[in-house]
Amino acid sequence: MSRTRIHQIAGIIISALLLLAPFYLPEIRVHLLIEILIFALFALSFNLLYGYAGLLCFGIGAFFGIGAYVYALLLTHLPQMPLLLGLLISAFGAWLAGIAIGFLSVRLRGAYFALITFAFQMFLYAVALKWRSVTNGDDGIGVTRPEFYLPLFGKISLMNIINLYYLILGVVALGVLLAYLFLKTPLGNSAVCMRENETRSSFLGYDSFLTKVTIFSLSGFLAGLAGSLFVLFNEFVATNCIDMNMSFAVVLMAIIGGTGQFFGPVIGAAFYTAFQNWLSSFTQHWWLFVGALYVATVLYLPGGLVSIANLFKRGD
Amino acid sequence: MGTSIEIIIIQAMHGFVYGLLLFMVASGLTLVLGMMGVLNIAHIAFYMLGAYIAYSITTYTGSFWLSLVASPIIVGALSIIIERIFLKKTYKAGHALQILLTFGLYFIFAELVRLIWGTSPFRLAPPELLSGGITLLGKTFPIYRLFIIGFSVVIFIAMILILMRTRIGIIIRAAVYDTDMVEALGNNIPLYFIGVFAAGAFLAAVAGVVAAPLLTIFSGMGDQVLLDCFVVIIVGGFGSLLGAFIASLMLGQLQSFGIMWIPELAIVFQFLLMALVLIIRPTGLMGEEI
Amino acid sequence: MGCALKLENIHKDFSGLQVLKGIHLEIKEGERHAIIGPNGAGKSTLFNIITGLYKPSKGRLLFREKDITGWPIHKISRMKISRSFQITNLYPRMTVFENVRNAVISKLNRRFDWLHLLDNDQEINEETERILSLLSLEGVRNFLAAELSYGAQRELEIALTLARDPILIMLDEPTAGLNTEETRKVVEIIRRVTERKTLVIVEHDMEVVFSLASRITVLNYGRILATGAPDEVRENEEVKNAYLGKKQYVTRSQ
Repeated sequence: MSRTRIHQIAGIIISALLLLAPFYLPEIRVHLLIEILIFALFALSFNLLYGYAGLLCFGIGAFFGIGAYVYALLLTHLPQMPLLLGLLISAFGAWLAGIAIGFLSVRLRGAYFALITFAFQMFLYAVALKWRSVTNGDDGIGVTRPEFYLPLFGKISLMNIINLYYLILGVVALGVLLAYLFLKTPLGNSAVCMRENETRSSFLGYDSFLTKVTIFSLSGFLAGLAGSLFVLFNEFVATNCIDMNMSFAVVLMAIIGGTGQFFGPVIGAAFYTAFQNWLSSFTQHWWLFVGALYVATVLYLPGGLVSIANLFKRGD
Repeated sequence: MGTSIEIIIIQAMHGFVYGLLLFMVASGLTLVLGMMGVLNIAHIAFYMLGAYIAYSITTYTGSFWLSLVASPIIVGALSIIIERIFLKKTYKAGHALQILLTFGLYFIFAELVRLIWGTSPFRLAPPELLSGGITLLGKTFPIYRLFIIGFSVVIFIAMILILMRTRIGIIIRAAVYDTDMVEALGNNIPLYFIGVFAAGAFLAAVAGVVAAPLLTIFSGMGDQVLLDCFVVIIVGGFGSLLGAFIASLMLGQLQSFGIMWIPELAIVFQFLLMALVLIIRPTGLMGEEI
Repeated sequence: MGCALKLENIHKDFSGLQVLKGIHLEIKEGERHAIIGPNGAGKSTLFNIITGLYKPSKGRLLFREKDITGWPIHKISRMKISRSFQITNLYPRMTVFENVRNAVISKLNRRFDWLHLLDNDQEINEETERILSLLSLEGVRNFLAAELSYGAQRELEIALTLARDPILIMLDEPTAGLNTEETRKVVEIIRRVTERKTLVIVEHDMEVVFSLASRITVLNYGRILATGAPDEVRENEEVKNAYLGKKQYVTRSQ
């Protein structure tokens, strides 16, 4: 059986599992699954930059946080706004931030780029912390899930966790599809060109700066979308949505899962979330284990979990 | 809000204190960066560990001075172990891997600290000799801060002398400029590097010990310093000690006066500075082309 | 015939080292212009200045009367000035097809196209195939660039240079490291594809130079020693003294 065949079958099985999840999983597991979905999108957005464009963005949490805060504020001040529009606007806000930050950052390379984006995120964190009149600082903003209006079905209450699950599944699936298709377009190819050989690409007429800013902002869009979904799910936003732990968690997910393949970060998100969930039930120092696993991955299995399959292939 | 000369001078001195401490931490970071192109985020952990270990030593032995000597030595030794076990593997692998790794190490250290010392913050009192204040320009200025200034200046003079006058120092400076050439001339660069690395960690720990009575000791104490160090390196230029020095002092003053004028948004100044530098001179004030 | 490229008083310093001193050069449309000179004469620097990698310290660069001094690389490239690299500079982890396709996407100005899928795109794929066949690279289209033989890599290198249908083609030692047979093949390709185009070529292989070039410029120590038709240059006393007679050049690598 060819690899593509295996992938296709796996895809169908996983899709079926996801679609039927609420019917065979207890509610608490559905909660976990929602969290996995949100972070899968988030991790994917990080890897769009790192795995495909070669840009290590440590400040990815900034966009997640912006998406989260914007959505929370929308829900607070404009609760009648259609749900999908609200999500879109939040993601768009993160997209704009991506352009602004990208504009200032992309001229730097490698570790320096990572540093700058991280610094920008910390700036936004401080703003979120100090600007209490808007963000309520570390006390955060509590929101209520709006109702979701679907043309044929009428009003759907998102207090029902199953409805929420399907909504988030749908949005995440769209986001993932967007990322997947994007990589198959000429623009997606441009981003990969930049990583593969930036000099040659310049000489072929590729504008390095513009290309990087474009993909940076797209990544911001997806991360912001994930952030807004996070608020929808938790009905709460606070500075933890934009602090360095948020960035680090998603970097961890992508690395552990594997940055060389499209679904690597998704697997990483699933693994991390499940692992953390399991560990934290009997130790409050689960960070240590996850961190150790992360370091081990970076040092000994740089391809991540997805590359384990390669270890069993005959040597190439 | 009186902005009389006295207040300005006092604020400036406060800013000076933080600036000097910041430079003590940032110097190791930028030197290692310039010499081997390694951005070691875990370096800030040495600062944090310096403070925590000093706290333990002082609590058990009652002597702050002992911790001032012992803590940095312990941290310095630890740093060598870290370098040999973890960092060594990443030199060939490129910046991304290094930064990913050291970032992870930083978080692990923060967690380890919580594991060993618990999550409650600590306060460390300055030694008898240095507590209290003296009257300066009509205001009371803590003696301890004066000590920090004096102590830091002594350390920096020592640093300058070593780097400028000794053979080791010259080699190190040359290595920051062109590692390959220096190695080709027969110098054992890896050995020098370990030395610089450990010295940097030592200094960061000293800063941690010295800062402990000034600030609260808690597992997030490195976060602000981490950020500040980044800004210092960006503004000062990668690998430039002079740049880091200027940037540290600038940042110290910005913090001090920023807090005085607009406490909530003091951090804005910091970032304005950084953004400005990025736009006008992306390689930093004293940096070379990357 | 119009003037394709004009260099006016080009100087280039690197931290105090003067690599190019006052270069004046005019290259006419349709010329095949070779730049030769001993190592260190400044040929590569000149090349890099024309293509935008370096900015001249002084002087102007004009392409078809348009001042392009100091323009960024990608902007110069879009003026239809293309260059090849002396040390092969491909996309090693991409296939031959993908390599050429990258250039084609840029030529068709679809770098920022996010509305079409590459796999099905007729325009891009057809154009890529055309260029592959131009250089007879269809056979290796699915090989990774890193897997190719050195000769094939040089051909791919030229393919990338030509893919954008440049007006001014700049080749940096295209036959470096090739054996007689491969050199002959490459020279044929160059002759064929540079018809009605302007070619600037840096070369060490004198046979290639004299068989291809319509004009030759000799560079030495950052200055132009002589410019003119091949025979003129060959007879030039200064040039002969400088190195042509000294057999510093490899006429053919075995």
